[in-house]
Amino acid sequence: MVFRVWYFLRETLVSLWRNLSLTLAAILTVAISLSLVGSSLLIREGAERATAQFQEGVEFIVFMNADVLSEQDAAIRDVLGTSPAIAEYTYIDKAAAYQEFRELFSDKPELVESVTPDIMPPSYRIVPANPDADNVAELARQFGEQPGVKEVATATEAIRQIEDFSTRVSQALLFAAVVLVAVSAVLILNTVFTAIGARREEIEVMKLVGATNWFIRIPFMLEGTIHGLFGAAMAIPALFVVDNRVLAYFQESEAVPLFRGFAVPDGYVWNTSIWMLVIGAAIGMVGSAIAVTRYLDV
Amino acid sequence: MIRLEGVTKTYKGEVVALRDATAEIQRGEFVFLVGPSGSGKSTFLRLVNREELATAGTIMVAGKDVGTLSSWKVPYLRRSIGYVFQDYKLLPKKTVAENVAFALEVIGRPRPVIRRKVPAILDLVGLGRKSERFPEELSGGEQQRVSIARAFVNQPLILLADEPTGNLDQATSVGIMRLLDRINRSGTTVLMATHDRGIVDTMRRRVIELDRGVVVRDESRGVYE
Ligand SMILES: Nc1ncnc2c1ncn2[C@@H]1O[C@H](COP(=O)(O)OP(=O)(O)OP(=O)(O)O)[C@@H](O)[C@H]1O
Ligand SMILES: [Mg+2]
Repeated sequence: MVFRVWYFLRETLVSLWRNLSLTLAAILTVAISLSLVGSSLLIREGAERATAQFQEGVEFIVFMNADVLSEQDAAIRDVLGTSPAIAEYTYIDKAAAYQEFRELFSDKPELVESVTPDIMPPSYRIVPANPDADNVAELARQFGEQPGVKEVATATEAIRQIEDFSTRVSQALLFAAVVLVAVSAVLILNTVFTAIGARREEIEVMKLVGATNWFIRIPFMLEGTIHGLFGAAMAIPALFVVDNRVLAYFQESEAVPLFRGFAVPDGYVWNTSIWMLVIGAAIGMVGSAIAVTRYLDV
Repeated sequence: MIRLEGVTKTYKGEVVALRDATAEIQRGEFVFLVGPSGSGKSTFLRLVNREELATAGTIMVAGKDVGTLSSWKVPYLRRSIGYVFQDYKLLPKKTVAENVAFALEVIGRPRPVIRRKVPAILDLVGLGRKSERFPEELSGGEQQRVSIARAFVNQPLILLADEPTGNLDQATSVGIMRLLDRINRSGTTVLMATHDRGIVDTMRRRVIELDRGVVVRDESRGVYE
């Protein structure tokens, strides 16, 4: 088996080297398309984290004091339950708030450790009957004056812009990425096809002396997989650059209310990187598999 | 060792290359396949090797029905069959030794085995001292010896040779025939397609003659005619 591994590696490397310009083109295309895939995922994730509390029609959030009295809390709840201006609300208690906080900052354990459920403010996420900006502002002002209320955060224009921006950008990136992924698969297919063409004679001899089909195929599939993996590896640093940009964008926006993270945690970036390697390898394998099945005739 | 029963081979639905051919070749025999150009000699050999599938009839090789052999087993069938061509089919970028080693390498033989077998077989074919040459630095006869070494290095049961002397002069051909004869004497069944009257007539081995795809003659110790 050791001998075979050596054989496959040697054959694959020779072939990669022989086809250098096509190989580089294939790797670069994979790198570009995967950078786009990754960026799109990061931007979507970043925006989602920044605006997580304002999903599904929630227009403002009433944060209570951590040491709110139960009759103050009951009064707020009473208004929320009876007022025709409120369509719906969700109560986030201390435990739930703490849980969210932990998830959000899971890659910053020292921050999580500095916090206990005790000091988390419970809150109400509120869907108003009329989501008009003026109306929301007025409701927020009214709730802000109630005893026991610490702060009211509204889904400001900026938050809507983040959502809007992220949706549009990530969709555009994703579309470009899908096109480019297809292009890179075709390029890999072509490169492997060329590699097969360059070794017609060898393949003929191999078949003649009884090499198995897999033995003939593996170096070519390995070649395609290497294109995909190298491309993905090149896209990973690009991903970290984009991560910093996304972070900067959301941090500068100041649209983000209490305890919200605007950055994508490093863990998520690494996860995305692993996914990109997987996708890269998959593109390479699919491209080369199509090439060997179509052109190898073994 | 090789048995054809009522074998017909039709290419692309019109050209009949072999018509209802029946023949049986025993282990250890040396058989010449003769006949005019286009009579189906190469087709005969390719059917044995399962490079082609018969349109009708059965072909048994080493006890296996090659027509029904599942495709993943074909490589293993071919490991027991050496194949030699008129144009050698050597790899120009590999040395003599590498060309021979390649045949062992791609069927996964371990490197110590390769290192032992390659020089031995090159000695056998008389090229021990030219193992580091490239094919283009050799004469036709020498190239054919390399190709025979490659076909024989895995000690196949059967050696198929398609006009192995077709590109060689008389004297060189005699040398190649001596080599094939020697391989045959070691127990390998040899089936050789040829146009070379002189060789067939001097060797006096079994001759199967084809004419337009039909077996018209099959005699032991035959001549070319
Ligand atoms: N792959 C193919 N496709 C179509 N027709 C073929 C193919 N191979 C051979 N033939 C035809 O089948 C017939 C027999 O060919 P084959 O090559 O077996 O003859 P041969 O006896 O080896 O001839 P030669 O002495 O010239 O080598 C010929 O008419 C040939 O044109
Ligand atoms: Mg022929």
